[in-house]
Amino acid sequence: MSGADRNLLSVRGLVVRYPAGVQSAASLTAVRGVDLDIPQQGIYGLVGESGCGKSSLAHAILQLKPVAAGQALWHRQDLLSMRGSQLRSARRKIQLVFQDPLASLSPRRSVLQTLVEPLDHFGIGQAGTGQAGSREEQASAALETVGLSPDLRHRYPRELSGGQRQRVALARALITEPELIIADEPVSSLDVSVQARIIELILELREKLGIAFLFVSHDLAVVGQLADTVGVMYLGKIVEQGAADDVFARPAHPYTRALLAAVPVADPDHPRPEILKGEPPSPLTPPSGCVFHKRCPEPITPCSTIVPTETSLQDSQTTDHRVRCHLWNSTKN
Amino acid sequence: MSKPVLTVRNLRVSIRSQDAPAMAVDGVSFALREGEVLAVVGESGCGKTKTAESLMGLLPTDTWDVQADAIELDGVNLPMQNEREMRKIRGQEISMIFQEPQTALDPVFTIGNQLCSIYRRHRNKNRKEATLAALDMLQQVGFADPRRILHSYPHQLSGGMRQRVMISMAMACRPRVLIADEPTTALDVTTQAQVLSRMTLLGREFGTSILLITHDLGIVAQYCDRVLVMHAGRIIEKATVHELFTDPQQSYTRRLLAAVPQVRTA
Repeated sequence: MSGADRNLLSVRGLVVRYPAGVQSAASLTAVRGVDLDIPQQGIYGLVGESGCGKSSLAHAILQLKPVAAGQALWHRQDLLSMRGSQLRSARRKIQLVFQDPLASLSPRRSVLQTLVEPLDHFGIGQAGTGQAGSREEQASAALETVGLSPDLRHRYPRELSGGQRQRVALARALITEPELIIADEPVSSLDVSVQARIIELILELREKLGIAFLFVSHDLAVVGQLADTVGVMYLGKIVEQGAADDVFARPAHPYTRALLAAVPVADPDHPRPEILKGEPPSPLTPPSGCVFHKRCPEPITPCSTIVPTETSLQDSQTTDHRVRCHLWNSTKN
Repeated sequence: MSKPVLTVRNLRVSIRSQDAPAMAVDGVSFALREGEVLAVVGESGCGKTKTAESLMGLLPTDTWDVQADAIELDGVNLPMQNEREMRKIRGQEISMIFQEPQTALDPVFTIGNQLCSIYRRHRNKNRKEATLAALDMLQQVGFADPRRILHSYPHQLSGGMRQRVMISMAMACRPRVLIADEPTTALDVTTQAQVLSRMTLLGREFGTSILLITHDLGIVAQYCDRVLVMHAGRIIEKATVHELFTDPQQSYTRRLLAAVPQVRTA
């Protein structure tokens, strides 16, 4: 059985390009050729700094961003070339959850209205038969699935706490019975204790309903709590990916190591975070060679001129641990 | 023990309302000591930001009622009721940086314009002296090319760069107290380390005590000396950073510590 068959979603060579400026022909390449696989019920954690292209990648899968090249295979069909009803039915099975529920939920709609809308849109259940009761039951069931009381269905977003709002956003995603939820920084605006409960909920949804997640976050600690597979993105490329245990225990790319070392540890005896020099480069003028070489603590000769290819590390039997770095290219085998 | 720079006794902040007054800060007392970094931790809505804003006199009096037995800077009561007098204190003696620097910087003026105006207004420097002082300050917050930053507009800088500009503006007058309200919450981890280390370094160099408001216990552990834990408008625990992590007294503090996600490493 080939790898692509086991996967719910296989992204290959995805490039996302935006026109840069109204009057110029210049363009900004936000995602520069990304491959990733999400198996059924898998949780893929995509991490990186702001501006690295992680949200562009996540949104491009649903054709919400301009795709210049590449494929996103969904049940062996390319999502990126789908149109019309085919795209609609695929989108029913792939739902999005955003960072700020106050912005993504309509302030003028009650929770019930928000939850029923996707049912109407996709024609799920008894559309047009006037059996409003069953719709309300479905909405109540979705609320219960995310740990909210159905009594909240007549509330408006402003009448809910941040954690409750994000649960409503998840319920709205769940109501179309998706196989994959793309969650873009879903817990970043929440307090740690609330974050922890939403993370528990996501793990529970995977367990009970078999839903896979593409979980986008800038927070390594959060990703470490739930992802099976981790991809680290830098300036439009995934520079390292593999099983979460491998990537966290044996980070191979200097950028991954820098990211891990920058997290302040909640232990006063632990050394202070290390500081990565410089700022992320502009995607309008990416550096030559390895895009990380100007900030890299251990650059070698080819880094500034030659783009590193992906190397597989032999440190795990289960999942491929791959890195784009000359340090590993030269020590291969 | 070093002497207190800022002393707050029984601070009460409530929202003016026809119904029962809602207390945002309910009898908070603490002392910020000379040269220390004091953390205020707690979840959203615990009153930590309202505490900071009331110390700066930033809460509009028509909606907020601020009462305190004493708010003293170096033993002298702050002129909280006198807006003209408070303006002299703000920026010069006590300054503040916010979570989102974009909202605190004026988008239509260059960084140089905004930073130099501080020196010209508060330090009576002429144009040339102000420019030199601004260049020096930008260098101190870690900019390798301060001249370029001086000529930049806020939108041309990244979030981390903007926050370092904010620090340079807040520290320009070498204030006694810097209040930093979640200064790195909107930033990436790599930038966060840069901003926090620059801020604490400058504080030590200028003799500025820092009140650092955060929800991140990792930041508390790595950058602070003492901690106030706030919950529902009150300070429920005061401790040195070491005491807090080794021997938390309150069950709420223990729950807060337990909720911190840790990066799994080998």
